[in-house]
Amino acid sequence: MKKPRALVLCGDGINCDGETAWALEAAGFEPARLHTTSFLDNPETLSQIQLLVIPGGFSFGDEIASGKILALKIKRKMRDALTAFIGKGGLVIGICNGFQVLVQMGLLPFSEPGAPRVVSLTRNAEGRFVNRWVELDVKPSNRSPFFASLSRIHLPIRHGEGRLAVGNAQDTNAAAEVSRHAALHYVEDVNGSHEKIAALTNTKGNVLGLMPHPEAFVRWSQHPAWASWSRQSAAHGSGLSRHPQFPDGPPDGLVILKNARKAVD
Amino acid sequence: MSINIAILVSGRGSNLEAILRAIKDGDLQAKAQVVISNNPEALALHIARKYGVHAVAIASKGLSRQEHERLVLEELSQFDIDFVVLAGYMRILSPRFLQRFRDERGFFRVINIHPSLLPAFPGVSGYDDAFQAGVTVSGVTVHLADEKVDHGPILAQESFPRMENDTLDTFKARGLAVEHRIYPDVLAKIAGGGLADLIKSPNGHAGGTHKEQSVLCLAVLPRAGFRQDKNLVEFPLYWIQADEPGQSLADDPKFLETLADILTDPLIEDLRCALPGQRGEWVKDWALAGFRWWAERQFLPGVTDNLAHTVQEALELTGLPASIKVASGTGFLLPDSASFAGLDDVAQRLRYRYFHPLTDRVLVHDLTQDKPAQERFLSFPAVHLPEPKPVEIMALDVSDAELMSLSRDRTLALNLGEMKAIRAHFDQGNVREKRQVRGLPPWPTDVELEVIAQTWSEHCKHKIFNARIKHTDLSKPEALQKTSINSLYKTFVQAATKKLSSERTDLLSVFVDNAGVVQWDDEWSVCFKVETHNSPSALEPYGGALTGILGVNRDILGTGLGAKPICNTDIFCFAYPSADLVERPSMLPTEAIIQGVRRGVQDGGNKSGIPTVNGAVFFHDGYRAKPLVFCGTVGLLPLAVSGKSGYQKHTRPGDIVVMAGGRIGKDGIHGATFSSEALHEGSPVSAVQIGDPFTQKRLADFVLEARDQGLMTGITDNGAGGLSSSVGEMAELTGGATIELNNIPLKYPGLADYEIVISESQERMTLATTDFASLQELADKHHVEITAIGEFNSSGYFEVTRDGKPVAMLDLSFLHGGVPVLELASVWKGAGQDASDIPPAGDLEETLLALLSHPNISSRETVIRQYDHEVQGASVVKQLMGPAQQAPCDAAVIKPILGEVGAIALSNGLCPQLSAYDCYLMAVCAVDEAVRNAVCVGADPASLALLDNFCWPDPVPSERNADAQTKLAQLVRACEGLFDAVLAYQAPLISGKDSMKNDFDDGVVRISIPPTLLVSAIGRVHDAEHAITMEFKSPGDLIYIACAGDSGLAGTTIAAMQGWESGLLPSLDLTGAARLYNLVHTAIKNGWIESCHDVSDGGLGVAVAECAIGSGLGAELHAQKVMESVRREQSGSDEATTVDQRLDLALFSEGPGRLVISVKPDHKKKLAEHFSGTRLIEIGNVTQRASLLIVHGKDHAPDDISVDRLTRAWKARLPFDDDGIRS
Repeated sequence: MKKPRALVLCGDGINCDGETAWALEAAGFEPARLHTTSFLDNPETLSQIQLLVIPGGFSFGDEIASGKILALKIKRKMRDALTAFIGKGGLVIGICNGFQVLVQMGLLPFSEPGAPRVVSLTRNAEGRFVNRWVELDVKPSNRSPFFASLSRIHLPIRHGEGRLAVGNAQDTNAAAEVSRHAALHYVEDVNGSHEKIAALTNTKGNVLGLMPHPEAFVRWSQHPAWASWSRQSAAHGSGLSRHPQFPDGPPDGLVILKNARKAVD
Repeated sequence: MSINIAILVSGRGSNLEAILRAIKDGDLQAKAQVVISNNPEALALHIARKYGVHAVAIASKGLSRQEHERLVLEELSQFDIDFVVLAGYMRILSPRFLQRFRDERGFFRVINIHPSLLPAFPGVSGYDDAFQAGVTVSGVTVHLADEKVDHGPILAQESFPRMENDTLDTFKARGLAVEHRIYPDVLAKIAGGGLADLIKSPNGHAGGTHKEQSVLCLAVLPRAGFRQDKNLVEFPLYWIQADEPGQSLADDPKFLETLADILTDPLIEDLRCALPGQRGEWVKDWALAGFRWWAERQFLPGVTDNLAHTVQEALELTGLPASIKVASGTGFLLPDSASFAGLDDVAQRLRYRYFHPLTDRVLVHDLTQDKPAQERFLSFPAVHLPEPKPVEIMALDVSDAELMSLSRDRTLALNLGEMKAIRAHFDQGNVREKRQVRGLPPWPTDVELEVIAQTWSEHCKHKIFNARIKHTDLSKPEALQKTSINSLYKTFVQAATKKLSSERTDLLSVFVDNAGVVQWDDEWSVCFKVETHNSPSALEPYGGALTGILGVNRDILGTGLGAKPICNTDIFCFAYPSADLVERPSMLPTEAIIQGVRRGVQDGGNKSGIPTVNGAVFFHDGYRAKPLVFCGTVGLLPLAVSGKSGYQKHTRPGDIVVMAGGRIGKDGIHGATFSSEALHEGSPVSAVQIGDPFTQKRLADFVLEARDQGLMTGITDNGAGGLSSSVGEMAELTGGATIELNNIPLKYPGLADYEIVISESQERMTLATTDFASLQELADKHHVEITAIGEFNSSGYFEVTRDGKPVAMLDLSFLHGGVPVLELASVWKGAGQDASDIPPAGDLEETLLALLSHPNISSRETVIRQYDHEVQGASVVKQLMGPAQQAPCDAAVIKPILGEVGAIALSNGLCPQLSAYDCYLMAVCAVDEAVRNAVCVGADPASLALLDNFCWPDPVPSERNADAQTKLAQLVRACEGLFDAVLAYQAPLISGKDSMKNDFDDGVVRISIPPTLLVSAIGRVHDAEHAITMEFKSPGDLIYIACAGDSGLAGTTIAAMQGWESGLLPSLDLTGAARLYNLVHTAIKNGWIESCHDVSDGGLGVAVAECAIGSGLGAELHAQKVMESVRREQSGSDEATTVDQRLDLALFSEGPGRLVISVKPDHKKKLAEHFSGTRLIEIGNVTQRASLLIVHGKDHAPDDISVDRLTRAWKARLPFDDDGIRS
């Protein structure tokens, strides 16, 4: 069977494109990395792929605001083509900086043309970049295909601007809409995000933006506790609880990408 | 408005008196803060005192210009001086002096009066010259000083006639009357309305006005709830300048809309715009909002402004013309509650955390005062440079003293022997003939002299490591005391690797390229390099560390045909903040250094997409002389690139020289020579640079794709020495190169030719190609600027041309081989072993908790969490592992190739605390620590490759460096130790670096760092899944200590903490250690070991505590066994006996060659057999109860310390933990 094609953007300061492509391959896609310049020069590329991934990184050095200028660049040339791709059910994943790009483009949580932008991803409440592993709860009511079969997962976060803010907090309707589109919640408050939201999807569920990095947990030995777990007869001590899937099931990040793969069929 | 002035005089001081009178009479709103005369006899000093003005004589006689200016600057630094006024000051001011008074537009705030209508009759005798020339009209000029004598922007001119019957005296008297009137007048105008209106631009308009109108200032204000710090609201400011005169940006609603779209997040921020005249409105509003202070910051002209570059690119994306220029800055609003004492106090407390005087300009306003005048706001920081100096000829047929002052004044850092060698070279008949043919003068041009100085710098040519040394070792029998060493590098560093090379066929390229290269598998090789960036980090730590990282990344990118950086390692040596020397104002506070360096590493690694996987921080008061910032990178390089070896360069004559990446500016001129000197007051500010990781990331993406497409025949980075080094070195591949200056893109006009050639402006690579057109196409895609700047050839020369005419033509063999060998002497007196009595043991728990929170031991979590250490997806063992992510691992493990089983371990060793005793031991311990750390995580000891990084106090004698012979002897000892350890462990050195001038010297105080050797190791973990971590794994596991060395007390953390003096040195059995590590490795591979941790700072007690903290489990230790583990076979001294009879000393003594291992009880027997013949002592077991229990025997209650307390102590605040401004 022919593998579905995934396009991974690179260039302009994106820096997780290599491992993201590798993880997609492990999940059953045929990934291709494409420089943003080449992508924007060839909008028809979208008609040949099933999944578009905007990976993590520091596009445009994270200057002004994370994801802002890459969003501007894509929006000016590709907004319509992208909206059409999404409208036809094409899958889009924005990871970390990619999530910030999707938000800056106004594609999350509402990806319909002309929909208002209601959220921002801004500086962490503590004001610092943070790289650590976190536990996340999958929102049971979220209907996106990416988290099928998952409930509590482990992934690393690596961001300085991951605090989800609802533009008009007084607008209870907007806040409720944002909650409705949440896909992942941090178990602990790590960045001051509204309702500890770590990921959003659009209404249809085919566009996903998430701050944690699924591509960084596609083999068990990426987990900080792997060496402990692999030598323990049982779980001891405190911290990240021993993963029920370890060591024979696929790690959580790979499950998410494999779910994307299944959703294509 | 009133201005503060300082007046410099040499003689009678009639202009001084005119100024002081005008002040007294209220005609001039100024305060004369100080009058300085270089002539102690000057009448002017009396005049100043008569007017009650502080007057100081700083005699210039007998001092070099630099030394005298340093003293004058020191005096001036005590005052807040707006302008320096020269009133008959008979000294020429150096550019360095002037730089200290540079304003935001690039003018120097130094005013001079000259008795002629400049540019006519400059020089010391303006009246005489004009009179002798028979002029009918002469005059007086008041002007701003610049680098040239009697030159610079004219502020005012007034003519006076020469009468028919004038004598020189009457002519002069008429002029003086004019002088005494217009000088106070001009100053009064400056005080009243600022400088801008007075400066005439070339087309006759006053400088400021029309430009100002086209500058729009913008503030992006965060809404309530999105402000980070309640004591400080911090937000971006922008200055946007339209290039068209009269173009009013503020009137174009579409333009404002675009700006708002780019600069603000409409959900959480508001944009305010103002023309210069409207800035007062902001201030009014903020005062009403209850703020007390307002400060605005922007970069000094020409400093790298990454944010502005991005805004500019965004504006271009939206179709706006590139002629619109952007500058960025920061606004700060502070409430009254922050309790600042005044404007200066606000600036003082923002300094270094929020701005750095070397890179930023800051103005503070008191919002309770009246509306500030317009010129008190910052405007667009345009670069304003005078016409560059034409190429100068450096006549070298001068006295020795003049040769040396030439070297000093140009920061060439060349000694007399080297200056003479240059003279001798150019004095040769055949050299002169060849130069004549090419139209060059006999003596070198300034371009040539500067290129030679960069190439011959200690930084580039490692003259000390190649010196001939007469070494005397007084610790040996007399007949063996004297030896001579012909190059430490060849004798010890290179020789050690040579001896091992027959065993190690994987060494592909050692000591020749930008990094050492070893083979990884059939397709790939890995390369490794560690650099230092000490001097830049001492001056401006953020930029210093950032450019350090980016620089070593480029070393990797420039290795072979271009390697991909896959991880970074960063090691810092800092003074404790308490070691600050407040009386040395030219030294940065330690805390500012620490925080700046940490931020630099964060941006350097994170924004480049290179994980920072490993590192160390070490505190020692000796590092107040200079902080040490080691930046290392591992790279991945294909063995073959388009059918050619990837680890070599293949440049041929005819290939095109290409410069790729950033443009060239004044930033980073003289970096190589500056780092080859002690730091002093006059250290050039232009050596300060800020890196641009985003531009470099694009450059790296481009380079790697160009490599894979086979578009390059060679590549190297532009680091120290700029093009002079990169092209000068690559020229050796083909035997020559020519570059044309007209082709080289500049950031702004105004650079002299020599500056273009030696500038170290960042983010640049030099490439060689045969297919520039394809390279250009690829560069366009990546948005990278590339330029063909010349050609490689086989002429034998490195040639630089301007308009096709040579301005430099240097014989490559002279350039690279002509530097004279240094002759040095060293005297080693034997290891120092002073000892005092060790006081009785204190409370064990208290001591252990104090050690755990010691800055050299405590958790680095706050630092590590701010570094992206997982990007690229290769991580196997991170800095912090275990279920609670707090097990401090000994070495990093990453998979260089995703999906393959093999992995690289990366570790470091550093033991400068032993340097005060014996640098031989220090070096051995550093190698041991690096090797041991790698072994701990599962690396195969047979696969290790090492780097050496020496950071030393200057071992070259001079008037100010009396104990140079000892420092050199320490270097010899360290090299001997390195050699012995490398051979014992059979771990070859593949690359290295030395930084030999780590001293601070301001002419009064000289302090030096402790001699420091960093050893870094990479090795192979055959199967990543067999890597192990240091935290305990399961209750019931047995705890062992494996030893190949004896611990000591000298230089230990506990001794330093308690103030003990001990002479008990640790020791290491190198052969035994090599054997032990091989056994440990086999045991790990066989799965017999659950955890393995090196015993280092804080000794066994801290090591076991860390294993418990990392796991959340506990440990039970037997006191007798612990003491047995430190027993020496030959005790030798009373102290040695004390250590094995006192539990505290047994637990906290430190030494090499020791590991804590935990093992399943099932493996006990197997392990005993495996390790037979080595010292492996079972000291306890892992417990479920999270506590450290030390059992003493029947008649003594056990010590019982909860792991929770250990953890809390270990997570103590580091000086890194910066929470912004504290009030």
